[in-house]
Amino acid sequence: MRSFAYLSAPDIDTALHAVSAEPNAKFLGGGTNLVDLMREEIEQPDTVIDITRLPLAEVAELPGGGVRVGALVRNSHLAAHPLIRERYPVLSQAILHGASGQLRNMATVGGNLLQRTRCVYFYDTASPCNKREPGAGCAAAEGFHRNTAVLGTSEHCLAAHPSDMCVALAALDAAVEVRSVRGVRRIPVTDFHRLPGATPHVESDLAPDELVTAVEIPPLRAAANSRYRKVRDRASYAFALVSVAAALEVEDGRVRTARLALGGVGTRPWRAREAERVLADAPATEEAFDRAAEAELAAAVGRPDNAFKIDLARRTVTAVLRRLLTTDGSTP
Amino acid sequence: MTTPTPRTPVPVHSPREAPSPVHSPREAPPSPASSTPGGVGSSPRRPDGTLKVTGEFAYSSDMWMDDMLWGATLRSPHPHARIRGIDVTGAVRMPGVHAVLTHEDVPGEKRYGLEYRDQPVLAFGKVRYRGEPVAIVAADHPETARRALDRVRVDYEVLEPVSDPVRAAFDPDCPLVHEAGEDLPPAHPAHHRSGNRVRYQPVRTGAFADGATAAEVRALADVVVTGEYQVGMQDQAFLGPESGLAVPAEDGGVDLHIATQWLHVDQSQIAPCLGLPPEKVRLTLAGVGGAFGAREDMSMQVHACMLALRTGRPVKIVYNREESFHGHVHRHPARLRYEHGATRDGRLVYATAEIVLDGGAYASTTAAVVGVASSLGLGPYEIPHARVDAYGVYTTNPPCGAMRGFGAVQACFCYESQLDRLAAELGLHPVELRIRNAMSEGSRTATGQRVDMPLPMADMLRRAREMPMPPERAAAGPVDVRALPGGVANTSRGEGVRRGVGYGVGLKNLCFSEGFDDYSTARVRLEVVGGEPAVQVHTAAAEVGQGLVTIKGQIARTELGVERVTVLPSDTRVGSAGSSSASRQSYMTGGAVRAACLAVRARVFELVRAAGLVGDDHPDELLGLAGGKVVSGARGVLVSLADLLGASAVEETREFRHRATEMLDPTTGQGASHTQFGMCVHRAVVDVDVDLGLVKVVALDAVQDVGRVLHPQQLAGQIQGGSAQGLGLALMEEIQVSGSVIRNPSFTDYLIPTILDVPPMRIEVLEHPDPHAPYGLRGAGEPPTLSSTPAIVAAVRAATGRPLSRIPVRPEDIVGIERD
Repeated sequence: MRSFAYLSAPDIDTALHAVSAEPNAKFLGGGTNLVDLMREEIEQPDTVIDITRLPLAEVAELPGGGVRVGALVRNSHLAAHPLIRERYPVLSQAILHGASGQLRNMATVGGNLLQRTRCVYFYDTASPCNKREPGAGCAAAEGFHRNTAVLGTSEHCLAAHPSDMCVALAALDAAVEVRSVRGVRRIPVTDFHRLPGATPHVESDLAPDELVTAVEIPPLRAAANSRYRKVRDRASYAFALVSVAAALEVEDGRVRTARLALGGVGTRPWRAREAERVLADAPATEEAFDRAAEAELAAAVGRPDNAFKIDLARRTVTAVLRRLLTTDGSTP
Repeated sequence: MTTPTPRTPVPVHSPREAPSPVHSPREAPPSPASSTPGGVGSSPRRPDGTLKVTGEFAYSSDMWMDDMLWGATLRSPHPHARIRGIDVTGAVRMPGVHAVLTHEDVPGEKRYGLEYRDQPVLAFGKVRYRGEPVAIVAADHPETARRALDRVRVDYEVLEPVSDPVRAAFDPDCPLVHEAGEDLPPAHPAHHRSGNRVRYQPVRTGAFADGATAAEVRALADVVVTGEYQVGMQDQAFLGPESGLAVPAEDGGVDLHIATQWLHVDQSQIAPCLGLPPEKVRLTLAGVGGAFGAREDMSMQVHACMLALRTGRPVKIVYNREESFHGHVHRHPARLRYEHGATRDGRLVYATAEIVLDGGAYASTTAAVVGVASSLGLGPYEIPHARVDAYGVYTTNPPCGAMRGFGAVQACFCYESQLDRLAAELGLHPVELRIRNAMSEGSRTATGQRVDMPLPMADMLRRAREMPMPPERAAAGPVDVRALPGGVANTSRGEGVRRGVGYGVGLKNLCFSEGFDDYSTARVRLEVVGGEPAVQVHTAAAEVGQGLVTIKGQIARTELGVERVTVLPSDTRVGSAGSSSASRQSYMTGGAVRAACLAVRARVFELVRAAGLVGDDHPDELLGLAGGKVVSGARGVLVSLADLLGASAVEETREFRHRATEMLDPTTGQGASHTQFGMCVHRAVVDVDVDLGLVKVVALDAVQDVGRVLHPQQLAGQIQGGSAQGLGLALMEEIQVSGSVIRNPSFTDYLIPTILDVPPMRIEVLEHPDPHAPYGLRGAGEPPTLSSTPAIVAAVRAATGRPLSRIPVRPEDIVGIERD
């Protein structure tokens, strides 16, 4: 780990001024990702601004039925929160399917949004990686890429976004509130993470001097019948090969609302808009679910180690929708 | 030096209660237990148990000295490259840096190795694997040491890696990993070393011994099955990373505190590299956080000593997790081809196997692994005509060596898969086919070795088949998703889930093989402390978590009738105990402790006669030690040890050897190469989500013959642990190597089973004593690791109908199945 200056910010303004004054500063929340990356010297900030004292750890009901989640709310706290369990079971489940209890106790919502990929070449400083070192090249395409993405990839990067929580937030149309000395703005979660394109090192819409302060989740009736499924190599503590966040509302045998997002297969938390288009007002049948899954994955590009994920993702989407059709969503 | 033959154990009985997972069948032969509390056959608490559970145990990485420096290692970023130059000047100038050393600074021999000294202490000429040590640094802070590494400039000429083990074995145009003209020691002539081959070992019996071709032998069979298999690279995945502390001594020598499996073999490799006589390189075992074979080869032993001797300060080195993956050997990945032929009534006629084991950059134990893979490559079956060709090769992949199961694991997966295929062809139950061809006492292995100890394989298979099945999944009602494939990820509530059952059996050699003069040494001291008799047991044996420290105390209590036993720390002040590997320490160091205890007993009886308590002609056989007293069968208590010994102590040191073994014949592979055989039978029951490719192992039940149970609770732990490690190889554990580089050197990406992946296990233990072994015992640690893997894969095949010829089996190997 490189040496760095440490600053514990007593309030938001101090944190924002500090970060705007330091060109190479990082905010420290739970530290579950940043500190690891600093140890591996993949992240080398000159200054670390500890934000854990900032008043951003509240979960609050919004007028109209939405929920506002402070950026410093711990993952385990959010997953257990009655408002989340009741209104957005998919989010609660997604969080509980990520990491371990110890990590969830430390990890924050803001940090989870900014979690970095597990592509093995990102961590291997002896290999080229455009995400770690812009312009260096991508070793994954010709190398080991079982855990990389099949959707949203570019010739410059295949890295999958690793978060479970973000997949649920994408399905729920959540918005990220960010602040800087320049003011406050809101970014839809689905725009927050960027496709790699030619600049895979730019992972989000967040400017270097901006601080994530909250996530707002709008009310969604269909979310009461929602769930998160994760396919992984072992029963716990493993990243997704494929995951699906889904909410479904059916009326008179037709799909009234369907929300779908995929994890493990996309370079960002993957909102499945193609699938949603196919499902809109379609009969709620297995056949329609299959067509929806097919439509979403039509654009997927598989490589020797990861092509299986395309089929696995189709199957998982269909299975989740089938389950949502037969349950009222009240049992996890 | 004595080689005691096992005597009939003391005929004293006491009821033995096995802990719940172990069910000793009633028909097991009665085995004597100790009358002394905490003796052989009971389950006394481990002396290090509470400390480990509460986190207070000092592991090697916890060692500290106030004036110590921190060592760090510069490793090659390339799997194969020529070193054109190394410039350390930038590192040497850094404040806080006390030494920067390269191969030029190695005081003595520049290479070391467990069996074959081909591994550079620090690379010179070439690097042959990614992560190979090139330079070492000592600094006043670990971070300073790492910064200094960044300033060492190494000029590499990158070479093409030699990544394909099959090409390395068979292609004469394959580049050599170790080029001709390198000053390596001569290879064993029987190993057929040539090119990139470390060892080639053929085995021929029956018509194959007479030169018959496969086609000729194939004509003898009604049914033939063939298979090609692959085994991925498994890691031992111990939790305590490599670490050691070297302390320079006033006599110019060095004291090394190290987590290792064999202190003396480390010493014998370190001393020549340091240019020191062995007595100036003293080793003490530091707290070992798991081993499983990965600590048999050295890691930073010489490095820490070099830095300590150069700086005159204690030097500590601790690898981090990523470094650890580069810092120890792994299980050999393998490519295997098998063919089995049988008669219509299910009698094996012939079998052939071609086994290629990827040894990676340095020999490590590859030659011995080939010796096991070849001799046990066809498993515990009576096969009239056998042909095995086993190759261990050099590549520029990560070095591979010892891991629990040692060359028998890869083959077991294949011959068991073959037996299942054959059973399917013949329409026989897999257990029935195995029973029809099972070895038993008196059978000969493929190497012609007679099995001269009980091998109740058919009985074990029947017992495994007859064990109660786990309950069927309920068709309706509440669902516990933890019991389903995918578990708490809630991928299924039972739809698309199919159940399968599979069996596996494996044959493992126990103790060292192929003529190795193996021995262990124990020193036992009996004296009176505070008015009570007390025993000290001193050996150099490595406690690596297996529980030998408990066993040594149990044996001393049993043989000397004294409850108070202290097991001294293991170090090189006493003779070698050999390696904590090959399931050998209860046999070998247990045997040595017992021999030393018997010698102490004999001395005590001499004192009894000298004191006139019995006549000079009173034979030892009529005397005993119990409850701290000397007793006579005829006359009861003669004297207490406290009174008899007074201020004097009785101390004896003994070496214990197992019977001699033979090298395999280099052309026919014949020879009695093994000391002892162990066997475990597994029955696995799995539920598979055939839609998503997820597997839940519902039951993993085992039957194992251990000859004699010394510590029921620890035995259960060994069987459970071995079974879990086999489960890992079956379903998830693989070091991903591409382009000769490890791609997942972390426990985030290298997955080992969690408590949610490992089912409850029903374990049945048989005790048919081996007449050649102390107490009749058999090593127990390895056999479950063999049979667990093929049983699980067979169960997944049964559930899915997929061929599954590569392990670990992954979801993508299972999906694609037709939906019903």
